Amino acid sequence: MSKRAVYPFVAIVGQERMKLALILNVINPTLSGVLIRGEKGTAKSTAVRALAEILPAIQVVKDCPFQLFPEEAPDVCRECAHTECSRQVINHEPLETVERGIRVVELPVGATEDRVVGTMDLEHALKKGEKRMEPGILAAAHRGILYVDEVNLLDDHVVDVLLDSAAMGVNTIEREGVSFSHPARFTLVGTMNPEEGELRPQLLDRFGLCVHIEGINEPAARVAIMERRMAFDENPEDFCAQWEDESRELVEKIKRAIDLYPQVVIGQPSLFEIASYCLDVGVDGHRGDIIILKAAKTLAAFHGRTEVIKDDIDTAAEMALPHRIRRQPLQDIVVDVDRLRRQNLAR
Amino acid sequence: MFHNIYPFAAIIGQDRLKRSLILNAVNPAIGGVLIRGEKGTAKSTAVRALAALLPEINIVRGCPFACDPDQPQEFCHQCRQHSNRVHVGVRRLSVVTMPLNATEDRVVGGIDFNQAVKTGRRVFQPGLLAKVHRGILYVDEVNLLDDHIVDIILDAAASGRNVVEREGISYTHPSQFILVGTMNPEEGEPRPQLLDRFGFCVEVAAEKDVGKRAALMQQREEYDSDPQGFVRRFQKENDQIAQEIMAARHFLNNVTFPNNLRTLVSEICTENHVAGHRADLVIEQGARGMAALMKHHEVTVDDIREVAWLALSHRKREPAPPPPPPPPPEHDHDHPDPPENQQDQEPAPEEHPPPEQPEPQDASQNAKTEETPPPETSEDQADPDRQAEDQNRRENAIEQIFEVGETFKVKKISSQRDRVFRRGSGRRSRTRVAQKQGRYVKSTSVAKTGDVALDATLRAAAPYQLQRASGNGLAVVLKPEDLRDKIREKRIGNFLLFLVDASGSMGARGRMTASKGAIMSLLLDAYQKRDRIAMVSFRNQEAVMNLPPTSSIEMAAHLLKEMPIGGRTPLSAGLAKTYEVMRNYLLRDPTARPIVIVITDGKSNVALGERKPLAEALDLAGRLCLDERVRFIVVDTESQGLVHFGLARKLAVAMQAEYFKIEDLKADTLVNIAKDNVK
Repeated sequence: MSKRAVYPFVAIVGQERMKLALILNVINPTLSGVLIRGEKGTAKSTAVRALAEILPAIQVVKDCPFQLFPEEAPDVCRECAHTECSRQVINHEPLETVERGIRVVELPVGATEDRVVGTMDLEHALKKGEKRMEPGILAAAHRGILYVDEVNLLDDHVVDVLLDSAAMGVNTIEREGVSFSHPARFTLVGTMNPEEGELRPQLLDRFGLCVHIEGINEPAARVAIMERRMAFDENPEDFCAQWEDESRELVEKIKRAIDLYPQVVIGQPSLFEIASYCLDVGVDGHRGDIIILKAAKTLAAFHGRTEVIKDDIDTAAEMALPHRIRRQPLQDIVVDVDRLRRQNLAR
Repeated sequence: MFHNIYPFAAIIGQDRLKRSLILNAVNPAIGGVLIRGEKGTAKSTAVRALAALLPEINIVRGCPFACDPDQPQEFCHQCRQHSNRVHVGVRRLSVVTMPLNATEDRVVGGIDFNQAVKTGRRVFQPGLLAKVHRGILYVDEVNLLDDHIVDIILDAAASGRNVVEREGISYTHPSQFILVGTMNPEEGEPRPQLLDRFGFCVEVAAEKDVGKRAALMQQREEYDSDPQGFVRRFQKENDQIAQEIMAARHFLNNVTFPNNLRTLVSEICTENHVAGHRADLVIEQGARGMAALMKHHEVTVDDIREVAWLALSHRKREPAPPPPPPPPPEHDHDHPDPPENQQDQEPAPEEHPPPEQPEPQDASQNAKTEETPPPETSEDQADPDRQAEDQNRRENAIEQIFEVGETFKVKKISSQRDRVFRRGSGRRSRTRVAQKQGRYVKSTSVAKTGDVALDATLRAAAPYQLQRASGNGLAVVLKPEDLRDKIREKRIGNFLLFLVDASGSMGARGRMTASKGAIMSLLLDAYQKRDRIAMVSFRNQEAVMNLPPTSSIEMAAHLLKEMPIGGRTPLSAGLAKTYEVMRNYLLRDPTARPIVIVITDGKSNVALGERKPLAEALDLAGRLCLDERVRFIVVDTESQGLVHFGLARKLAVAMQAEYFKIEDLKADTLVNIAKDNVK
């Protein structure tokens, strides 16, 4: 399979917030995703697709449809269709693993529930007289990134299924006489245009971070966008080669941040700062606090620090809170969290 | 199932939640708990963590239904046959998760495909209800569960057994379980019957204390960075809770419930106007569990106090019955009725219509109701500046908010049945569904969905079995041409668009109160039918989308209560907006059958273009109805005075809409029943 050239992540002009949010999620998958809100043609999809290129590699059991880490979930292997590797698991033989990049799996808006959770393999049933599961998109997305373009247009049923597995990290299938479950922990990346309707609050909350993006108004930057796009369209390979150094630098930086993350510490005062931030702006539940903490730590690691500073917390809060602030029905999602806080404090 | 579940002991705060879960583990007779609360408050975490604390139970080894060896009278068929040589096994009490996408056949059980094809025998394959017997059935987001699955669960919960009559199988097995559900009230309420099935109900909210929040964050982060180590750290505390539960379970049989306290329980229940008797029973069982935990031999008043509110919060009703329906305002403005007082005072001008009731011109109807001086009569011709100024002033002066009037049961409104396959949930219009949900009504040889109807497929293959050589050792040889798909049918909600006339003319003589009552009735109906709704209102110069398509009826009701009335009637703008919303909705869901409910008196007096307002509106209405997927209903709010214009009826004709007066919407009037029967 010849690889199609992808517009390099580092060549995207501007949209720093979005890029930062995506990078943070690459460094720390427990941030559980980004929601990118913005108008059409603001490099939303380009950024997500380009992300695949800068993702670190993971160890995966060879040919495993569930992207399992060896020894991750032997229960799954036992019922898995790949008889070869399930035999090995049962006999406690070592499994062959391969190293490959994290995948970006796309969930099309029109996807049926069947394709998402998995369905019965009909052919197998007819030939062998056995029911067995054919893994769906959720299986493919395990340990990877699940990308939903226009997430607000997703079918309600599919949203429910997504919520179910995003919440538990497990996809449970109870249908058509098949009972099966497999791990499905993924980073949920969604893009949406708010003009087409809002997301259900429940799903909104599942996205760790939320960024708003707009078209760039600065002429120079706009010209740069056009130039780069044209260069890419003319000769993708050359263009990518041009940016390779910068790409590699970013990959290195991400790698260093991943290694550094466990050493990042956060002081008690900072924790209190986060908690009071959330209380000041009025957030539902505790997920906001937790996400700010994680994002702030990840930010520190990304900048090569082992200590969280006030700036990290502010940046983190601005990305973690907009979609979590309690609002009146129909009230728009708050864009400027910091200002809201100052307003609330002034009152 | 997968390791390293966040430990129960490590959950900070949420004491009531933890208490109620433990009580259920101690005394299953409580019958479960419903956890309500905003997102991100450890609802699901707590339930999943509970699974690790549950005690072990004795079971008949090898029995798919986990029969209790000590209760031979409740054995399943299988165990009854071998009742003399039962092997006792031990198993941890199981928590079975019901995913939202579960199909009916997996929930109740069905024919075992592998057995059928391989050995040619008809064997029952137990479903979730079998697996959950004597355990906990956990439904995350219980309010989103499909209705027909809810019916099945309710049925099993009520009778303690699961009766299977489907796909050529007739089977009954015991299925007693504790129902644990979580829900977020933002997504709508579950049905009352389902609500009542939960013994307890706990509301959870986020911690307000900064210190606790900080501790909570830190623990979560520690868990995420090293789940195994974290679980190990809390192992001891977790084990301790598990032991407490175990001890309390054994102690439970020694707990007695003094008779005199029963009176107290029933008093508590009556005080809170609880429906039915389940609350009494739940409180009693809860108190016994509490006493067992505390190691009292006798239930005390404190135990009851402790659990009473858990059982009451979702069953409690308002102390007084709702006030009697307010009589029509026309007759009572001289003798205001007490419950109507509030209503009478706010919209005072409307309640005392000036004597010049029969108005000759429709435009002046506005003027009168808004107490604005005469210039109004010629408002279509008035110069724009003055008009705008007038408009502004008027808006400030007489924007009013009316009470919501009497609500009633709405007659059945649904779309025609057709052969189009749809997707969705809800309970309004019956339709065939192209998804693996709903009742299996029949099978088809046109395989499209891959939703194999096993019984039909086997039947189709049966005649050829002699000719088909069985090469692969299977009892039944299936070929692709035997495949039969299931056709499933269920009710789904429609999309209702409310187009509400909020202009000044609607405020006349309490009409808006009645109209709001009608809209509210329709909303309540929409809530029960799980429709999606949207609301567009028009007044002054423009139409506004008050509520984009949503399932949250509460939001609509809230909006309706606050909806201000006043200004002129841009009916055309309203219709144009309707078109826009409909077009977007139908693009998104081409098989949808939206119902547009227009609530107006039809008196249009602001045009979009140069034409006469009314003519323009009628023309627009005519074009609007060209899309056959949309059904229109016009609710006429014009009062039946001496003079009425019947403009709404004209609109209905132009739109090919069904025409109702508010009274006609009621389900129980004799005329309507007769009409429905004739249809």
